[in-house]
Amino acid sequence: MTGLRADAAIALAIARKDALAELRGRQIAGSTLFFATLVLLLFGFALGPDARRLAEAAPGLLWLAIVFGSLLVVARLHQQEAEDDALEVLVRYPVERHAIYLGKLLAGIGAVGVLGAVLLPVVGILYGIPLLPAWPALVATLVLGTIGLAAVGTFYAGVTVRMQAREVMLPLLMLPIVAPLLLACVKATAAAVSGNPLGDLAAWVQLLVVFDVVMVVAGAATYGHLLEE
Amino acid sequence: MQNLGFIIAGYGVILGGMLLYAVLLLRRLSAARRASLEIRRQADTATPPSDPPA
Amino acid sequence: MATRVLGVVALIAVVAASLNALFGVPADVNQGDAQRIMYVHVPSAWLGYLSFGVTALAGIGYLWKRDLRLDAVAVAGAEIGVMFTAFAIWGGMMWGRPVWGVFWQWEDPRLTTTALLLALYLGYLLFRRLTDEPHRRATRAAVVGIIAAVDIPIVHFSVEWWRGLHQGPTIGSPDKVLHPSAPGLFVLALVSMVIAFTLAWGWLMLRRYQLARIEWQMEEHGRLGRLSAARRAAQAAAMPPPDGAAEGV
Repeated sequence: MTGLRADAAIALAIARKDALAELRGRQIAGSTLFFATLVLLLFGFALGPDARRLAEAAPGLLWLAIVFGSLLVVARLHQQEAEDDALEVLVRYPVERHAIYLGKLLAGIGAVGVLGAVLLPVVGILYGIPLLPAWPALVATLVLGTIGLAAVGTFYAGVTVRMQAREVMLPLLMLPIVAPLLLACVKATAAAVSGNPLGDLAAWVQLLVVFDVVMVVAGAATYGHLLEE
Repeated sequence: MQNLGFIIAGYGVILGGMLLYAVLLLRRLSAARRASLEIRRQADTATPPSDPPA
Repeated sequence: MATRVLGVVALIAVVAASLNALFGVPADVNQGDAQRIMYVHVPSAWLGYLSFGVTALAGIGYLWKRDLRLDAVAVAGAEIGVMFTAFAIWGGMMWGRPVWGVFWQWEDPRLTTTALLLALYLGYLLFRRLTDEPHRRATRAAVVGIIAAVDIPIVHFSVEWWRGLHQGPTIGSPDKVLHPSAPGLFVLALVSMVIAFTLAWGWLMLRRYQLARIEWQMEEHGRLGRLSAARRAAQAAAMPPPDGAAEGV
């Protein structure tokens, strides 16, 4: 087995373990989805009943809800690991550090992806925006945004997992970093639902690709330093 | 000068802020130096801890 | 001693350059006297970026060499960088209100990027304060600083496109104001201000670095003290209890 394949196998095993733990009743997904939907509902109240204003703001609200929800998701994924010192055991395995990062990243992508996949139709219904005509672009944006959020989130959850003030520190560190991702996702989503009148959809998708690649590489390269302590 | 208020606010906050930071930095530094000297002197004069009484 | 000389020179230079910028140089034709704020705004912004660059490089160096002196450089850069970045934003706002008519210009990519930069490194500083054990703190701060540094260009491009792709370029950003073709007096005033501020920056960095070193030594000493106290306590606890207290197992 080549090194790359071994890494992939390890990453898959870690992600599979997290998925199994979730299916066996860890209840991250349920509570996060509930929270994010609640956020969307409250945004609706905050902006008033004007249907046009809501439709205009919908891409931004969708992505804010996904970002807030992803904060909870990545924090929980690492929290479970740190409890019972499971992370310490994981670190002692003779595997490449970046494989551990990729494993946690895959789990994060899965969780944030589920969140986005549920919230997108919820936004479509609540704020009355047409999703079906633009679905390929919306799915692409969702996938790229999910990867970026999970990459940054996994890294910062690893940074803050053993801190006492982690509930505060994770959003404080992560939100400014994901600002360009938020911007690009909102713009791409808005361009997609409005039929790409300005032709800028491709530019935002490219920015998302760059963001994802940079953050995944940077996260994989530095995550090991967080573990060896 | 036009816009005198903005110029005073700009220069005042930036130059004053730099000065304030410098003064505070010097005070932090001298306080830290004093504390560190104190600790070193204590460490030099203190006798090694004796065995606790049985 | 050399640091003290640098401090005195920097102080004189900043005072002299400021007096020149305020009273020596004529007012700008288009912007009037408000343009004088640029003479403190531009050096602040430059030193903010320089400081964060130093922090990122020191972080990389720490991960490589594991030398806590590099971590002291990193914290000096972050703290002083946050200060200068805040100054740059403040100066930009004081300039923007009379010239643009607003304090905050969302369409200016530089302003929004700088605001995010400030948030990134305030988080970095807060993060440092909440982590103890010098090496662990240095390692984590280094990786956080590196991620922040790689994010900066992405932030810049995203905000630039955000403006550029939707509304045409409406308002010139500060660098167009200080065009190199401007009369020599303006350039001279700006360059002397940049040099004076950079001297002051150097002095502040040195002093902040010294402070970080002393603080680290004291922290180390405190931990050694706690350690020996704990050892003594453990020895005392290991002593056989006075009278058969081994009942409540």
